[in-house]
Amino acid sequence: MFSLAEGCGCVSFRGGRRTRSLGDDSSSCRSSEIEQEVPKKLGKRILNGECTMKALAPFLKFWKRDDVSMTKAERTMKAAILIQQWYRRYLARMEVRRRYTWTIFQSIEYAGEQDQVKLYNFFNALLSHMRETSGKPSSERTSRTASVMEQVFSEESDEGGGVDETAPPKNSREPDIEFPLQRKDIDLLIETFRKKKKWFFQHRLHPKQVAQILKEAAQMLKRLPNINVATTSISSQITICGDLHGKLDDLLVIFHKNGLPSPENPYIFNGDFVDRGKKGLEVFLLLLACMLAFPGGVYLNRGNHEDLIMNTRYGFIREVHQKYRHNAERLLKLIENVYRWLPLGTIINNRVFVVHGGISDTTDLDMVRSLDRDKYVSLLRPPMNEGAAPGGEGIDKVEWKQVFDILWSDPQTIGGCVANALRGAGTYFGPDVTTTFLSKNKLSFLVRSHECKPGGYEILHNGNVITIFSASNYYELGSNKGAYLKLCGNSLDRQFVQYTAAVSRTRRLTFRQRVGLVESSAMRELHSQIMTARRTLEATFRSMDVDQSGLISVSDWCFAMEETTRLGLPWRMLKDKLVRTDPDTRLVRYMDTFDLTANRGGRKSDAQTVVETLYKNKRSLEAIFKILDKDNSGYITLEEFSEACQLLGKYMPNPMTQEQLVDICRLMDINKDGLVDLNEFLESFRLAEKSLHEEEHMIAEIKAS
Amino acid sequence: MAKKEEPKIQPNNELEKKIIESFEVFDHSGKQVVDVREIGTILRSLGCCPTEAEIQEVILATENKEATGNVPLINFLPYMCKVMIEHRFYPASAEMLLAAFRYFDKEGRGYLTKEKFAQLMLEEGEPFTQEEFDEMMQTALDPVTDTITYEYYINQLMVAPKDVYNIADEIQEEMRRLEAAAPKKRRASSLLRAAKN
Repeated sequence: MFSLAEGCGCVSFRGGRRTRSLGDDSSSCRSSEIEQEVPKKLGKRILNGECTMKALAPFLKFWKRDDVSMTKAERTMKAAILIQQWYRRYLARMEVRRRYTWTIFQSIEYAGEQDQVKLYNFFNALLSHMRETSGKPSSERTSRTASVMEQVFSEESDEGGGVDETAPPKNSREPDIEFPLQRKDIDLLIETFRKKKKWFFQHRLHPKQVAQILKEAAQMLKRLPNINVATTSISSQITICGDLHGKLDDLLVIFHKNGLPSPENPYIFNGDFVDRGKKGLEVFLLLLACMLAFPGGVYLNRGNHEDLIMNTRYGFIREVHQKYRHNAERLLKLIENVYRWLPLGTIINNRVFVVHGGISDTTDLDMVRSLDRDKYVSLLRPPMNEGAAPGGEGIDKVEWKQVFDILWSDPQTIGGCVANALRGAGTYFGPDVTTTFLSKNKLSFLVRSHECKPGGYEILHNGNVITIFSASNYYELGSNKGAYLKLCGNSLDRQFVQYTAAVSRTRRLTFRQRVGLVESSAMRELHSQIMTARRTLEATFRSMDVDQSGLISVSDWCFAMEETTRLGLPWRMLKDKLVRTDPDTRLVRYMDTFDLTANRGGRKSDAQTVVETLYKNKRSLEAIFKILDKDNSGYITLEEFSEACQLLGKYMPNPMTQEQLVDICRLMDINKDGLVDLNEFLESFRLAEKSLHEEEHMIAEIKAS
Repeated sequence: MAKKEEPKIQPNNELEKKIIESFEVFDHSGKQVVDVREIGTILRSLGCCPTEAEIQEVILATENKEATGNVPLINFLPYMCKVMIEHRFYPASAEMLLAAFRYFDKEGRGYLTKEKFAQLMLEEGEPFTQEEFDEMMQTALDPVTDTITYEYYINQLMVAPKDVYNIADEIQEEMRRLEAAAPKKRRASSLLRAAKN
């Protein structure tokens, strides 16, 4: 007897209900049999679905006739089966759509992470180059950490943008929290953090309060070892939560269902508290506050997103700037300090290892325990040895890899251990690696997070590896559940609790609607990925289109898509969502690929420019900008940026771009003050793109006449 | 590299490509193997409309005999090609479906009551699980009258595209044409006879 695979829509056996045995019974349910008994002369036409309702009449008679060849019970059974098999088919198609939608989101997310790592490998080179030329000492540029002791926090009351200008600024009602933090303060914080966006600026914490939470948390974390030691001796149970990614709603659901933390109700939060979700700061502060208010109740592990470089791309830095415009930089310095002191993992009862990513075949817990974790301010920018020659190899690569592997790796079903090419960092580790690791370190099993799962959790490697993910609706409303894991009693029995935050919005949606919603969101994401690769794609399509008809074969189209995007998606299945197919020849109208709605007729001919690659990768651009703007003032000098562009030019596919970029740089400084701000920068790219487009259009027109 | 690497199966024609792609959506390991519990979904995503019993048949025929619980592509592909060419698991037309509903609607009212339909779906044929039934009710049930207005409902469900069977037909045609074009093999005896005369 096997049970329904989750969301699979497949077979389910239930003891008492089945009246017929399968396969060998002569009156068993075969769709071919149902069809064979249809009156012969209509048979074929009905099968081809060509029948009109008129021809239905004799057909209906078939079901009604009192024939000895079929008892009433058999007829009932056959009719019911017909309905059921039809409906199951519909359900299965929904399931497949859900699956490939999932694949789309995941592959784009991981491709983005891979980009990120590549980008920062490039930046290590860039920064050492700039250090050499500018002659400034390395520490100034690699870390924001300055003296955190003397910091003056300016008032945030003069806020513009996003706040009701008519509201009196002095009417701020900050929560009245006191240090040292206690239960009552936590309740106050939760109440404050829950407030809707429009009340945020009135009720938020004063930057001084935020700073104090961060400072005290860093001090407490400093005293902890690299690997936390947790025990269930007092509590007889412990709760483990996975990625939260700024979803405060999910954290509050967890606290509501499972209670606030305490030494009797301990929690382990397994990293990735920020980025992507809108309330990263609230989640982060709440977790730190709980750690301060309930000593022994909260264990925090560092995730790969507890890293300012990741935060530049995935939204946390932007969030801090939006919420604390005048104090963002100082607060980020404090946050960075908390990050570097976060422990790297937790071991429960000397039996269970809880870490954010996973392990590799070289993971050495002794080395992990003994290294100085605070020197890894950001994982992506390795700590340079002071005194080393500029640009020289000053880092301990072996040690760096240890930390990287435990924060970035993913489990795989096949054996062995290979580099994680999809993410660009860490490894894929197989069940054999897990077994070896567990036995070598005398552990029972591994709990990790890092990957989103439809049910909020997943058990792999014969129960040796558990993935726990606590951010529901991660990709989109309705995309997945969140879950937390409780380990109970001496035997550490596993109990999973699933939930969906914002239930009221998703409850009424049918599976079909949920799938549709997530799917359209995924399609939009996919579309923007496709657009970044447009030039290459178009060139490939045209080279395949020998007779310039605008049509190519399905196989060719699939091949081109995969070759260019390398997303590993089931293109054949996605085809109908992306392009129109000519019904007679079954060839594909490839130019539809670049229209969001393939049904749109007469798409305008966009002459894409050379700088499109950069402009479309707006997020990368922003990230680049922010790195160069080391004091986060919002401005960089033109020279700094030109230099960066020159280096960037080496990585561009078309060498001509470099010159154009430099030209654009000059154009960029709109107010001619020698400084470029991000908006000027992006605006200039847009304008440059537009004018180049007009130029090309004009040239095309001239040619055509 | 201690393990012997098995070469990946490559498709020979459009039909095989389609089958392989559907298969690979559910192949998480990349080794061209899927869990048996996914077979039903794979079959249906291709465009087939099997009953639960028929899915069991497919599983029995294609399952990995040494390690049950898996279906490898090497078994699945030839089996499915045959299925497609033979037009097995062919989806019923909308008229068939309508007639099946009408059969239960003795008075010809154009709808079924929720109770009656629940009893049918949960107890007859290849019964739904409560989950499947609840899911179906969300789209099938008219909340105002609390009935299943089946004519309207059938229109709502996606019509089954029969693409894959058409492709299979074309492949068949191709093969027949190639065979016809190839020179006919003749028995040595008839060749000798012809030479003699």
